[in-house]
Amino acid sequence: MYQTLLTRRYLIGRVMPLLAILAVVLCTAMVLIVWSVMAGFLNMLLAQGRALMGDVVVNWPVEGIPYYQQLIEDLENDPLCEAAAPTIEAPGLMALPEPGGTRLVQIVGVDGPSYDRVTNFNELLWWQPIDEALPKDTDERDLRLRVPEQMRTEGLTLREFDPETEELRSAVVTGVWVSGFNRRNRAGFIDSYYTFFPTEEVTVSVLPLSDRGAVIDVAARRFPVANEFQTGLYDADANSVLIELGALQEMLHMDAAERIEDDFDYLAVTEDDDGEENFAQPTVVAEDPARVTSILLRAAEGVTPAQLRDRAKAIYAEFDMKMDGEVPPSDFVKVETWEERPAVRTFIGAVKKEMALLLSLFGFISMTAAFLVCAIFWAMVSEKTRDIGILRAVGASKGGVAWLFLRYGLVIGFVGSMFGLAVSYAIVLNINPIHEWLGQALGIYVWDPEIYHFTRIPSEIEPLKASYVFIGGVLFSLIGAAIPAINASRLDPVRALRFE
Amino acid sequence: MTLISAHNLTKTYRLGRVDVPVLRGVDVNVERGEWLAVLGASGSGKSTLLHLLGGLDRPDKGSGSTIEFEGRSLADMSARELDRHRNTRVGFVFQFYHLLPELTVLENTALGSMIRYGRIGYRMKAGEVRKRANEILTEFGLEHRLRHRPAELSGGERQRTALARALMNAPDLLLADEPTGNLDRKTGDRILESIERFHKEHGQTIIMVTHDPLIAERADRCIRLVDGLAVDGADVDAEDHVALSS
Ligand SMILES: Nc1ncnc2c1ncn2[C@@H]1O[C@H](COP(=O)(O)OP(=O)(O)OP(=O)(O)O)[C@@H](O)[C@H]1O
Ligand SMILES: [Mg+2]
Repeated sequence: MYQTLLTRRYLIGRVMPLLAILAVVLCTAMVLIVWSVMAGFLNMLLAQGRALMGDVVVNWPVEGIPYYQQLIEDLENDPLCEAAAPTIEAPGLMALPEPGGTRLVQIVGVDGPSYDRVTNFNELLWWQPIDEALPKDTDERDLRLRVPEQMRTEGLTLREFDPETEELRSAVVTGVWVSGFNRRNRAGFIDSYYTFFPTEEVTVSVLPLSDRGAVIDVAARRFPVANEFQTGLYDADANSVLIELGALQEMLHMDAAERIEDDFDYLAVTEDDDGEENFAQPTVVAEDPARVTSILLRAAEGVTPAQLRDRAKAIYAEFDMKMDGEVPPSDFVKVETWEERPAVRTFIGAVKKEMALLLSLFGFISMTAAFLVCAIFWAMVSEKTRDIGILRAVGASKGGVAWLFLRYGLVIGFVGSMFGLAVSYAIVLNINPIHEWLGQALGIYVWDPEIYHFTRIPSEIEPLKASYVFIGGVLFSLIGAAIPAINASRLDPVRALRFE
Repeated sequence: MTLISAHNLTKTYRLGRVDVPVLRGVDVNVERGEWLAVLGASGSGKSTLLHLLGGLDRPDKGSGSTIEFEGRSLADMSARELDRHRNTRVGFVFQFYHLLPELTVLENTALGSMIRYGRIGYRMKAGEVRKRANEILTEFGLEHRLRHRPAELSGGERQRTALARALMNAPDLLLADEPTGNLDRKTGDRILESIERFHKEHGQTIIMVTHDPLIAERADRCIRLVDGLAVDGADVDAEDHVALSS
């Protein structure tokens, strides 16, 4: 009881405890803000990355998976799988018309509509009309304000209308940073001082491989650029080129083809009924099915990637049985969630490590709060030594005296963390306006969209993180108070009373 | 009936490498309802004796010192029991008031009860405690000072508050360490009158330290600490007496 009363009295109208509270406020706010923004950043990146890759991938590189249409049908019939899309991943070269514009890229063959169903590809297309200029784009210079809807459609289908032939041509959609001519400006949109669209063409070269992985040919073809995409994953945006699936299959000789007898004599001549001589026609001995290297899957609502992965494995095993050796063996086909893909894993690992580093640094700095509380309490205990003697003389126990100061620390930690959380919420939830204001008023741009690929700073606080930080703040204050509290309880009451 | 009896009390302070014996075998015996005055020169160990008797300090280990309160040895009590003992059986009044500066007069007075009943118990007893504190403060003429802080009080008022705090829990034994030492004679007399009244009306057992023989005269009996030993009050040095009273 007396502890409550004294804590209140000690707290009110004193500078030291206010300073301690302020220290706790600053530390908790700092940690929570950094943590939230970093985690938000990571989540945004991953959400975008995932958007390009789907939830689960069934993968058999080089050779590819034949009869994939059948597999896709099997997969899509399963309630866990929302959609499936065939893709081909292969290394390739892309040459821009400009000198020095040849780049090594990852070529991804996709079938626009199915790919969109799995990945939200539609939303990743950069060049699509927007209604409103970005907040900082006051002059409305953003080209997207003026692009036609048709551009989106062409990007989505990976086909562009060719006015010469009046037919649709297969096209490519490149990552925004592939060309090297795009720059994101302060306002957050892309200033394209050299734009691909609408009629620019690029040359894509790929290497068809044999079953053994030997190069058997070089295929090069010119494609118009239909659009550009942006995932936010720099790696993908700088190195990936999407091509219409059929076109890539043709180039890689992965399209359906007829197989003829091995020892067919091309010079053999046959005579037909009219006595005319013709070159003999080879007999078709088999039909080689079209193939794709990967099938991307999207999980149904409420299904985790891991659940879908396990189901997809089972489905593939069945498919393998059904096809009776005609398809890659199920034991070796890789079925992975998007997070398990090597590129993503290293990326997530890197960002997570960075976040851990930052957090531990800030956590370390936050220990100053504990030290500050400790120092302030030490001073308080010295100042209150005689009071401690009096309390003991009147019958207070050692534990009671220790609890007096622990309680005091608890209150400081509690109040400080409370305000710290409040400050964090106030700042994080308004971080974009604040940042904008800082930019306008002081010319400080901490978050540069040129670098981070996001026009918005993530502004969410997870309650779980907030509660961790809160508990941490209280705990640190308690630890800071513990040593002086124990010290106070150990004071000899007689000496304490004599204390001047 | 003996309330407290101490036998062969020994207390040695260590100053650096030197042992300074302060009490070297003091015997004290106080009957219930008795008022004992402890005289002695400055530094003779009067306060030390009081702290020992009140269970705030412990005598030297292995010296054979015993303090018995109602026949029970303080040395046998656990830390908890001793805390409780100080809280309910003993009331301390110090020379320098020793009030908590952050608490009001009323709160200072109720401090012992707050400790005694704990958080929940005090909630239930708060009304009762406040009533008792009010009563006792009124008795000492402090009814218009209840909400004041010690800093806003005169020396005499502070000491009366300390006295109220000590007597609040109706202790069996009041230990007063030169309660008037810091006050002018007139104010000191008023305090002494209060103590005397309490002693007469409630039969309060008192051990009071003083170095003023005139004050000691009000007590039932007095002892004097000389060279770490207790000498009966009857042997008061005439010289000392004159020196102090003049
Ligand atoms: N904690 C301590 N450490 C060392 N010496 C101490 C300690 N407490 C008291 N003393 C010494 O013990 C002796 C007795 O002290 P005490 O306070 O009991 O005397 P006193 O009779 O009450 O004197 P006064 O009349 O001045 O109050 C003094 O010499 C003092 O210096
Ligand atoms: Mg003294």
